[in-house]
Amino acid sequence: MGRYVARRLLQAVPLLFIISVILFVLMQSIGDPLATMSGRRPTRSADRERLKRQLGLDQPVLMQYVYWLVGNDWTSIDLDGDGVRETRGERKGVLRGDLGRSLKKRQPVLDLIGERLPNTLLLMGTYEMVVLVGAVALGIYSAVRQYSIFDHAVTGVSFVLYSMPIFFIALLSMYLLAVKPKQWGLPYFPTVGMFEPEAGKTVPQVIWHMVLPVLSLSLISLAGYSRYMRSSMLEVLSQDYIRTAKSKGLERRYVLFAHALKNASLPIVTLIGLDLPTLLGGAIVTERIFGWPGMGRLFFDSVSDADTPVVMAILMMVSVAVVVFQILTDVIYAWLDPRIRYE
Amino acid sequence: MKSKWHFVLWTVFLVAGLLVAACQPTPTVAPPTPTQAAVQPTQPPPQPTQPPPEPTQPPPQPTQPPARKVATFIWTQEFDTLSPLYTNMWFSTTTFELWQCAAWLFDDQNNPFPSLVTELPSVENGMISPDGKVITLKLRDDAVWSDGEPLTSEDFAFTYEMYVNPANTVASTYPYDQLEKLETPDPQTVVMTFKEPFAPWMIMWRGILPAHVLRPVFEAEGSLNEADWNKNPTVGCGPYVFAEWESGSFARFVANEKYWLGKPKIDEIFFRFVPDDASQIAALQAGDGDLGTFIAWSDIPTLEKAGVEVVPAFSMYNEGIYFYMHPEKGHPALQDLRVRKAIALATDRFSLCTDLLLGGTVPAATDWDQTPWNDPSLQPWPYDPDQAKALLDEAGWVDSNGDGVRDKDGVELVLDYGTTTREIRKDTQAVLQQQLAAVGIKVNLLNAEADLFFSGYGEGGPAARGEYDLFEYSTSPSQPPDPDTADWLCSEIPSDEYPDGSNWQANCDEELDALFAKQRTQVDLEQRMATFHQITKHIFENVYWLGLWQDPDTWAVGKRLKNVKISGATPLYSIMEWELVE
Amino acid sequence: MSDTTEALSAIPQFAADELEAPPLSLRQLAWRRFRRHKMALFGAVMLALLFVYCFGGALWVSEDYANYTDTKARLQAPSVSHPFGTDTVGRDILARTIYGGQISLIIGLTAMLVELVIGVLIGALSGYYGGWLDSILMRFTEAVFVIPQLFLLIVMAKFFGGKVPNLTLLGRTFSGSVVVVILIIGATSWVYLARIVRAEFISLKEREFILAARAIGTPARQIIFGHILPNSIAPIIVSATLSVAAAILSESYISFLGMGVQAPTATWGNMLEGAMNYIEEAPWFWIFPGTLIVLTVLSINFLGDGLRDALDPRSRVV
Repeated sequence: MGRYVARRLLQAVPLLFIISVILFVLMQSIGDPLATMSGRRPTRSADRERLKRQLGLDQPVLMQYVYWLVGNDWTSIDLDGDGVRETRGERKGVLRGDLGRSLKKRQPVLDLIGERLPNTLLLMGTYEMVVLVGAVALGIYSAVRQYSIFDHAVTGVSFVLYSMPIFFIALLSMYLLAVKPKQWGLPYFPTVGMFEPEAGKTVPQVIWHMVLPVLSLSLISLAGYSRYMRSSMLEVLSQDYIRTAKSKGLERRYVLFAHALKNASLPIVTLIGLDLPTLLGGAIVTERIFGWPGMGRLFFDSVSDADTPVVMAILMMVSVAVVVFQILTDVIYAWLDPRIRYE
Repeated sequence: MKSKWHFVLWTVFLVAGLLVAACQPTPTVAPPTPTQAAVQPTQPPPQPTQPPPEPTQPPPQPTQPPARKVATFIWTQEFDTLSPLYTNMWFSTTTFELWQCAAWLFDDQNNPFPSLVTELPSVENGMISPDGKVITLKLRDDAVWSDGEPLTSEDFAFTYEMYVNPANTVASTYPYDQLEKLETPDPQTVVMTFKEPFAPWMIMWRGILPAHVLRPVFEAEGSLNEADWNKNPTVGCGPYVFAEWESGSFARFVANEKYWLGKPKIDEIFFRFVPDDASQIAALQAGDGDLGTFIAWSDIPTLEKAGVEVVPAFSMYNEGIYFYMHPEKGHPALQDLRVRKAIALATDRFSLCTDLLLGGTVPAATDWDQTPWNDPSLQPWPYDPDQAKALLDEAGWVDSNGDGVRDKDGVELVLDYGTTTREIRKDTQAVLQQQLAAVGIKVNLLNAEADLFFSGYGEGGPAARGEYDLFEYSTSPSQPPDPDTADWLCSEIPSDEYPDGSNWQANCDEELDALFAKQRTQVDLEQRMATFHQITKHIFENVYWLGLWQDPDTWAVGKRLKNVKISGATPLYSIMEWELVE
Repeated sequence: MSDTTEALSAIPQFAADELEAPPLSLRQLAWRRFRRHKMALFGAVMLALLFVYCFGGALWVSEDYANYTDTKARLQAPSVSHPFGTDTVGRDILARTIYGGQISLIIGLTAMLVELVIGVLIGALSGYYGGWLDSILMRFTEAVFVIPQLFLLIVMAKFFGGKVPNLTLLGRTFSGSVVVVILIIGATSWVYLARIVRAEFISLKEREFILAARAIGTPARQIIFGHILPNSIAPIIVSATLSVAAAILSESYISFLGMGVQAPTATWGNMLEGAMNYIEEAPWFWIFPGTLIVLTVLSINFLGDGLRDALDPRSRVV
């Protein structure tokens, strides 16, 4: 197993390298970060020229990539525009943990991400748990009561929810749970932000503000997950060992939770393994609609401003997480299912 | 049956439990009492994880009988950074009147009045030299930073140094790069010597850096790029002091106890960042916000119904269309004044303002509308499609092949009309396309994200490269309230040799060029104004620019705020006088 | 995964109860299974109706009318003259859903074709040849797979945005952004398909009939496209059908975010842009195009599911 993991990690290095090159090339023309730097007017030509030089954007793409990857503290750069490289570079490069500085916010990218990541993890972690618990419950229930009215209803609703764009669910839930109750004078859910500024960032406030985004996020995934769980459960329930356990006279609930659930959850492990790392990136659309100060909004705003260091950092972070989680998933899977052996 | 219910209950319980568990890590640090923050502004900036104090719970101090007055400002965009060096973003610079100080400010009529200086420099009082190159500033002797240090000419000199030092990646070196030198003969005197007479000098000194805080940082790190002060400017010199800023959520500024002009009437300014206009309108309607900005014209009736007042502040912005007039690369039709005039006459800018903008504004005649620099006799072109058709016929553009589009010498009158992706601009495009089609001019609509649209020639910006025959955006001639601009100079036409040029309309008019050069050195106000009247008239009569609507900043002022005056150039200049009543 | 449509790969595998099939031809068998799949039939009928709505509706309403602005009739509630109401510049929403639907459906179908070409080509080459080619192609596939689709879509939309000129086709002018959207959706969604095709090729290429074809010297191109591909067509059809739904969703996401198809060309997605501002004031502004997206995607998902059961019964169990 150790060797397997080591080999997978080694394979990940060229993979991440390819990804970083592709992304870096894409970054070169997702827009002009300097265009909006001068507030509401197009940037003055003299400033544009100076900023390009100071930020290193005048260098050839290859050089910019090298600076991004390994930094530029081993060489000198030209700050004053006299053509002489007189100043020692200060960047350390991604490989040494320096993700660069935001062109727009002028702060280290690491700080920006550090501010937003906890918010995203809170939202997405809650969502993941709601989905997981809900999907397992719904899946088992539908599987046990196969072809009951409940099962058919869940199937139908799942399909509809699954076909909805998340923003439509979000708009609908805002309309039905916030706008309308408000008009009728009923209590309603907040639609924007993490907390009311007047009330402060308290636990009840944050939970209260999380309801609508978590609901919108969960409904779609719940639909997919619970169907998955249902078919996986159905398959397990038809296996011989379940029949044996039943015929031994074991209590029904015991068979269901102790024997069937464990094995039926295996495919869910894979799903979660693929899902978790992308949660780091946050939910772009949901965070935007509900004004949640998370990574998704940071990403979208940074793309809009062509703030390439931030965009690059978020994408690489998510990529690394996906690769790591793929390996982790395989390991956990093998650990849960003794039939699987990695050579 | 019973087990089924158990199961459901169990699930519900588990979900609820997980919800609570997931939220546990939210910090619950006790809020700092606001007076602490105000009395000790030098204390390290509060951790971003700390919650804001609850205004509903006044701090337990018997010496403060009235409740703290907290005004909430709704900002639809977050600050990028707060340092005057590094930002030109409107949402950042607008906070300067809270926590920063300026040599002079502008009132709601955009008239300057002294703030840090004892009097405004002029040729009459001898503070501007007769040749216009040397300007002397006399500073007040009672101005102090919020930590008690005196604010002196040393701070001015340091600010100048930082702007022009190549180690700092400042947003713009202008206008400080126009200085030849800056001397400080004594703590209250600043002598600025310019390379050329520099008429727009009043756009300088809107933010001053505290030398005693930042010089050590600069000496240690070699630049101010990474200074913590940029994000946590705990030392300032305005009526308020920065308290905290939580990314994506809020920022707070509390009254500056040491402000040298007294104490403001509102105790705290709370900035709430919302993601979009809809949230802003909802917050203002519900009374959750006391001040909002950039209200869409179409939202004004909604707000007024809720008792929120909408105040326009004229910051010299006007929405308009530029004609791309490059003699070789441009569309031949646009070289003809009659065609440009026909486009003006064929577009109903009046109903655009009454219907789409719900009557909130009126068409602009020139880009200097509503300022003394505009020739007062100029009125927007009328809407007259018949005359437009006649002009096009006269210019030889007729529909000779019957395809519904006019043509001349085998060239169809098809124009590319580009703008950004803002909703109101897309809507305007759709309306104008229909009106121009009615007189036989076909326009293709193109849109680009703002940062692509405003890209320079070298970066492939479509407007700068002349890919649009007509391009629309809102701009002010220069840093308000100064009227200067380089956008019409022949030397600024971008090309492969000079990709950074700003004359994107590629319009070289010798007469106009000379007039712009002339006003730039006219330090005398009356003379400069006369030159600008000539300039505005010239641009208007030649239809080099077609005004769509005057685009003042629209501020929404909630019911609780009283005595609010807003300037276009330095919006929150009178924040000291604002009051909050329940 | 929540926002991306990638989760489509995890779509529930619909387990329909099925009796032992009587001896019938494969095609009959498939049709029989499909017909018995009520939801799939419903999907097919619904989809046919939607096509009639979008393309047949165009016979009644002209595109000029769909783009006709009337600033006096701004944001009007549904009425007899405007059954779906009007938008912010007084355009008729009903007419715009007709023409917007055309673009949305065309984007869905063509993006699927782009995806099909890339996915089949990469999957076939890497499955058939194996070796270093397989390694390289699969590393590349993995690289694209690793970045969440919506992130990649946004970056690529920005990359190509405004770089394609408007084009005129059949007397109609289309925004160049339509082409951009088709290409980027196709270019970011082929990964799953490539993997399916590769797996099919790997298992089929060792089968006797392929070995025989090789032995008699059939050229590789003919083996790939003439022999293996037709035999792995079932999962490709299923996956392609479902990816039309995914493409329509993707289009609506980036258009909703304002980075997709630009006005005046309407799509169901970009009609929803700015809907947030009118959630209370003008619900008809977003309910109609939103519902049409849901109906279309739902029908295609039903259809795809029925097709899977009919053509590819092996894949029924996850």
